[in-house]
Amino acid sequence: MTQDVLNATTLASIYVLFALGMSLVWGTIGILNFAHGSIFMFSAFTAYLVTREADVGMLGVIVISMVSGAVISVAMQYLVFQPIMRRAKSQHAGELQLVIGGIGLSAIPISIAQRVTFSNPFGFPTGAFETQSYDIGGVRLTNVMIVILVCGLGLGIGTALWIKRSKHGLALRALGVDPEVSSLMGIDRSRLGLAAMAYSGALAGLAGALLTYYFSSITPESGDTLLLKAFAAIILGGVGSMFGVVLGSFILAFAEYAVLLYTDGNWVTAVSFGLLFLILLVRPQGILGKKEVRRT
Amino acid sequence: MMDWLSQNQILFDGTLSLLLLAISIQIPLRLGVISFGSIGYYAIGGYGTAILMTKHDVNTWVAILTASFAAAIVAGLLGLIIARLTGLYLAMATVAFSLLLSTIAVNGGELTGGAVGIFGIIGDVTTWHVAVIAVVVIVLVAFTERGRLARRFDAIREDPQLASALGIDVAGYRRLSFPISGFIGGLAGALAVNLKTAISPESVDFHLVVLALTVIIVGGQTSWIGALIGSVFFVWLPEVLGVVGDWEAVVYGFIVVTAAVLFPGGVVGVWNDWMHRRGRTSEREQFERLEAVSEGKGS
Repeated sequence: MTQDVLNATTLASIYVLFALGMSLVWGTIGILNFAHGSIFMFSAFTAYLVTREADVGMLGVIVISMVSGAVISVAMQYLVFQPIMRRAKSQHAGELQLVIGGIGLSAIPISIAQRVTFSNPFGFPTGAFETQSYDIGGVRLTNVMIVILVCGLGLGIGTALWIKRSKHGLALRALGVDPEVSSLMGIDRSRLGLAAMAYSGALAGLAGALLTYYFSSITPESGDTLLLKAFAAIILGGVGSMFGVVLGSFILAFAEYAVLLYTDGNWVTAVSFGLLFLILLVRPQGILGKKEVRRT
Repeated sequence: MMDWLSQNQILFDGTLSLLLLAISIQIPLRLGVISFGSIGYYAIGGYGTAILMTKHDVNTWVAILTASFAAAIVAGLLGLIIARLTGLYLAMATVAFSLLLSTIAVNGGELTGGAVGIFGIIGDVTTWHVAVIAVVVIVLVAFTERGRLARRFDAIREDPQLASALGIDVAGYRRLSFPISGFIGGLAGALAVNLKTAISPESVDFHLVVLALTVIIVGGQTSWIGALIGSVFFVWLPEVLGVVGDWEAVVYGFIVVTAAVLFPGGVVGVWNDWMHRRGRTSEREQFERLEAVSEGKGS
């Protein structure tokens, strides 16, 4: 039982790391990034390419992965999302283009990675880093799990507090409420947008590296699956609410784990879609979200 | 000519079913509703037809019509349920709906054939039948792209508040778009399984959502011509791109991103802009000529 709770918590922490950045940019600068999954995969992939050439250790892998995640994410924002937002006639017209742009973007890194790995799973070499497992009162705990738990919970709560308390957090939240008025108040929209995307990309990179260590390998397509689960976690908790992401990830992970325990594994994918559909019907703004005022 | 047609029959089949699917997505989109539900309707139409034909020996056309109507009913119900959502939230709800259906297809056991799907769906549908049906659908859709109705659609899409101020029943039109989109989407699936003689969960997953959307974006969102151009483009492109080979998906990605950033109206949008500009130039020329004539008279 304790083991199950621990496993589900680890899964939830991975969802938190993945979904946190997505929720941040969606809730503040209004970009629903469909390419987040491929940023996640490609940053782990970049780190994998480096480890093939040189031994950088676990910390090195994580740093490389985070940096490349941030770089890809900023490039996407600068080259694609920002121009779309600038050219769009209205927020609404822009929404569909952002979705399509993201879908198009995500195809590029995935197909490059597929080409290089011949669609096989890839993982980091185990040379410098050993997965150690500890046995504490019948509960198996690995050092990778500890890192994931600490990062997931720490960054989740840390980001939530930062957004709530700091001046930059206030600026970001203001952008989410009314981009035009907030830029009149002296908030630099494009710079803050790039910063938010960089943070989001770095988190995706971190999640990519940690997940690859946890499962010992990932496939080029694994970002897509996580992307759809992240949508569920984000909407469940409430778009833009950082505590909401943590809550949504936990609900999703525990529900999935329960389904995995009591049925054969095939229905697990239905959990996220079912929860997503249900929450949209019952409470579209999510558990912790605030009601968005839209008249039409 | 006939040789060439029969050699490329698979491509024609693919183009036609993708065209119908794209039109199904376009109908709510023209009313400003981003709905991914069409993949679900396609799955209902496809699986419904396959089950009726292989498990219950129903006549081909009866099976196709029954499955398409079933898709229309489900779509109508979906439209009622998610009526209070807007924008991306509605889009996500429809994504969830479609992928839920594909999960059910995987787990359907005997009925849906599980992960393998259903094979050997042999009916008497030919490419020509599908072509005729596609033309009928296009003609019906084309009627909604002219005159009063088209202007109403444009108003609902571009400015729903203005539209409701003008007395247009925005919510009503949007609700109605669901069963129509559902019927066409179901029809697309039902005809596609007959042409391909098989259906599997993989053929109705998220990739189909992506493909159908890119078709509309590259072709053009607001006209059936856009759906046609997009379908032809994306079904035949892999043939043409034989040279690029393995980098096909990368090229796809670049095309889609370029379209999303630079040409949001798609090919049709670019054409309309160009015609518009040309119209303006010729008007100006005419005006200049008139001016020259009148000046000539004056002097």
